[in-house]
Amino acid sequence: MRTSLLLVLALLLPLHAFAATAEEVVKKSQAAFLYAGKDFKARVMMTLISKGGQKRVREMTMLRKNYGEVGGSQKYFIYFFQPADVRDMAFMVNKYPAKDDDRWLFVLAINMVRRIAARDKSSSFVGSDFTYEDVSGRDLEDDTHAIVKEEKLGTNDCYVVKSTPKAADVDYSYKISWIDKIHFLPVKEEYYDKKGELYKVFTADEITDIKGLPTITKRTMKNLQSGHTTEVIFAKTDYNIGIEDNLFSERYLRQPPKKWIE
Amino acid sequence: MRKVSLVEFSVNHPKLIVSLAIIFTLAFATQIPKMKTDTNPKNMLPATSDVRVWNDEVEKTFSLYEDMIVVGIVNENGILNKESLGKIIRITDEILKINGVAWRDVNSFPTITNVSAEAGVLKVAPLMTDVPQTDEEINALRKTLFENPLFVNRIISRDSKTTAIYVPLEKGANGKEIADRMREIVNKEGGSESYYIAGDPVARDTFGADMFKLMAVFSPISGMIMFLAIYLMFRNLSLSISMMTVAMISITWSVGLLIGLGFPIHIMSSMSPVFLMAIATDSIHIFNEYYFRYREKKNKKLAILETMEAVSRPVRYTALATAAGFAVLLLMHIIPVKVFGGLVAFGTIVLRLLSFSFLPAILTFIKEEKIEKAAAREDIGLSRSARLLKALGGFGAQKPKATVLVSLVLVIVAIIGTTKINVNNNMVEWFKYDSEVRTADRVMNQALGGTSLGYLVATAEEADFIKTPEAMRYIEALQRHLEKLSVVGKTVSVVDIVKRVSKVLHDDDPQYEVVPKTQEEIGQYLFMFSMSAKPSDLDNLVDYPFQKANIWVQLKTWDAQAMREINKSVDEFKKNHPISMELKPAGIAYFNLVWNDEVLYDMLRGFILALIVVFVILVFNFRSVKWAILGSIPLLFTILLIYGGLGFIGKDFDMPISVLSCLSLGMAVDFAIHFISRFKQRIVDSLQPVFSGQSPAPCTPNSELITESLLWTAARPGKGIMRNAVLFASAFSVMMFASLTPYITVGAFIVSMMMLSSILTIIYVPALITLMKDWLFKKNAITQNQI
Repeated sequence: MRTSLLLVLALLLPLHAFAATAEEVVKKSQAAFLYAGKDFKARVMMTLISKGGQKRVREMTMLRKNYGEVGGSQKYFIYFFQPADVRDMAFMVNKYPAKDDDRWLFVLAINMVRRIAARDKSSSFVGSDFTYEDVSGRDLEDDTHAIVKEEKLGTNDCYVVKSTPKAADVDYSYKISWIDKIHFLPVKEEYYDKKGELYKVFTADEITDIKGLPTITKRTMKNLQSGHTTEVIFAKTDYNIGIEDNLFSERYLRQPPKKWIE
Repeated sequence: MRKVSLVEFSVNHPKLIVSLAIIFTLAFATQIPKMKTDTNPKNMLPATSDVRVWNDEVEKTFSLYEDMIVVGIVNENGILNKESLGKIIRITDEILKINGVAWRDVNSFPTITNVSAEAGVLKVAPLMTDVPQTDEEINALRKTLFENPLFVNRIISRDSKTTAIYVPLEKGANGKEIADRMREIVNKEGGSESYYIAGDPVARDTFGADMFKLMAVFSPISGMIMFLAIYLMFRNLSLSISMMTVAMISITWSVGLLIGLGFPIHIMSSMSPVFLMAIATDSIHIFNEYYFRYREKKNKKLAILETMEAVSRPVRYTALATAAGFAVLLLMHIIPVKVFGGLVAFGTIVLRLLSFSFLPAILTFIKEEKIEKAAAREDIGLSRSARLLKALGGFGAQKPKATVLVSLVLVIVAIIGTTKINVNNNMVEWFKYDSEVRTADRVMNQALGGTSLGYLVATAEEADFIKTPEAMRYIEALQRHLEKLSVVGKTVSVVDIVKRVSKVLHDDDPQYEVVPKTQEEIGQYLFMFSMSAKPSDLDNLVDYPFQKANIWVQLKTWDAQAMREINKSVDEFKKNHPISMELKPAGIAYFNLVWNDEVLYDMLRGFILALIVVFVILVFNFRSVKWAILGSIPLLFTILLIYGGLGFIGKDFDMPISVLSCLSLGMAVDFAIHFISRFKQRIVDSLQPVFSGQSPAPCTPNSELITESLLWTAARPGKGIMRNAVLFASAFSVMMFASLTPYITVGAFIVSMMMLSSILTIIYVPALITLMKDWLFKKNAITQNQI
């Protein structure tokens, strides 16, 4: 209620005062980037490219369902198609605000579901240049945010936001994000290491409208220091498809319903 | 004779010659401030060499770092306590901030990936993010450490007293600067722990810095000692100054040229100033003769011209031999050796040019009375040293059989010694035993798996083969096989990770710490591991298509030989266990082996080449094969004695020694050239009356004349030879006090070579001439033309 009141007030003010706060921008960005729709599905093709140009492919179906507001709980279900020897492995994450995630993995070869500890959010997601946090996001309160400037990046008018983690539990010392003023998706992100040197760059390479929701369907994360790159393409992306709660269970982890993963 | 006319010109236009020399010197000197050093052992071989191309490829395939520094922390009461662990965390944290450190792949307690199971929850995370506070927590950490074979002997020693932080460096980072910063960090922590900083980049870059210091300190000291020695020999300041000036000029020209051409200074070329100073002392023969002549003629200019006439031939040929000895190095494969050879060969030619221009010009400036004073001391009959030399030469001439017999015994002993020679290179042993670098290396090698690293790359015929149980079991067996070698401290491969994950997934049941039965299982375990581990954890060990596996072999020594043992052991294993996988060594340890072999091969080639070149020069000089053979005997004898000595002392035959072997031929032969040339000339001069008025007539000198001439040669040019040898030796003796062993080696080698070859020349040449006079002076053997 107070937010909308503020919004009305803001609309009434002269243009130069029409400046969003950094927290607002980041929150809107999270809503567009990580919380779009009630639920979400995509066939994810992730290509890991080494410095020498060698490639590894991870292909998976990713399902997400929101529980609550932006910044609230979410559940993820990931089913792997590639590499070939991990086909039928499935991975489930329950994400909670201000609390460690719960993660489960179904290991087909030993026919067992294993809980996986998730203390280290900045660890690599399936060997890629994305971390678990890059996939599921950070809590808004974990960082201090500041709008550094506003500028045009390509054709996008952007807020340039600097987010500095409050605790030293991540690899980077701060992140600069270019957030589009219209759809609030991050167009580009730069991660600076503890020595203040740029080391990772995220770019949104393709943004597609899906059911009226702008979605990054092609993205790249490049580690400038190791020379490693990860490219991600979303196919068969869809929103609000009515994923049931019982999908996120051990039973379905072992035997995922075809209709969701295909 | 063109040379004499250059001398005449110089004597007539001394000021012009001196000004020209100054101008050229200043021009070359302008290049010196651009100096760079290169102590990276990789650059010993060209970037296009097979081993470097292969190593680069391996580094790329497995995302490996070229350079790694290892920080050792030792607590005699054990490292697993709150204080020490706190220090490890703080030190690691600080190290991550150093520029040039590849922080994402630093392995230490707080950063190394640990796969564990806690209360049924699988955990792939850094080992220790916070300092454990309670005894239970510390015991849990201890348990985690010692039950994981990926940790034991890597980040924790078996006695839990030592830990290590592995710090990979970004390309082009300066190892010494980073190591210095690390020292600051650990010094701030202090406490009862001792800290050690080891690793190839530290050794290499510390070596570079030390080399620079030594070059700056020892060259002037060598110069001073020579200056003093010359002064003591001739008691004439202007003479000492002019000789040193000649040396300085040639150093400036050659070093200036080298830098101007864009070459960096390597280990060998850093010694070139001392070499050139020593080679410059060859002009002692000019001064030696000049003083004798001046005493006889009392005319400055005439004495100069006559001196140059008398010594020009030996001086020219000795210069040629020396230059050729160094120039042979240009044909070698080892880059620093090539550069060094070219540098000194050029410097030697410059020196000779100056001997025939600048030196005579300078001589004209020396005041007559000063020369007279100095020359008064030069009397064959009175001078004690000349009498001693005469006695030495006399011993050889009068007891030739005994002399030769003694030498034969020595040759046999020396040959026995040479069989004990061990060809080896060890970068760390380039530092003295108790130096910081070597101590750190020793401590780390005793406590942990070893600081030198070799790789074995297994390549299968098809992708995904590495994930088969067959390949896994093969690699595992190979690791156990290699670990039997005493030089191998630890091996790590992808199999260790698979086994670890298997065990952890099965509630830590040790029964499951084995290679799984199916490829699916292996693939899924590896995938699970890669879901949370650092990308490099797996990338360092397998390539992307799982076609290649990289087995890390930590060695407890930097000896090049260690890798040869491993290769042998691998070949043996391959023969007994055939599989469709190729195994190929790589890494710095492998590079050291290749380089070591290259040095040996190069040395053999160079030695033979130098021998041929020197012999040809002798043949040209004496215009006789017989005399050339005679001239090479003291030389070969000297080298053989030194090699025999090396074998008995047990000193490794390393790069500096092999280089010295080649070029020493060119330097050591000088004495024989001087001795024999002057002896033959003396005979001719004595026979002059016989020839007078006629065209050169056949003549054979009789025994008395030969003996008399030998004694004269031993006393007069012999004094020049001894002076030369002593000066040479004194210049190099300084190096024996260096902090780096290659300098000590070079110093000791040259000192013994110079002293031995000069003494052997003075004793053995007379003995051999006396014994073989009939063969040497056959009918018509000596004519004026022949000299």
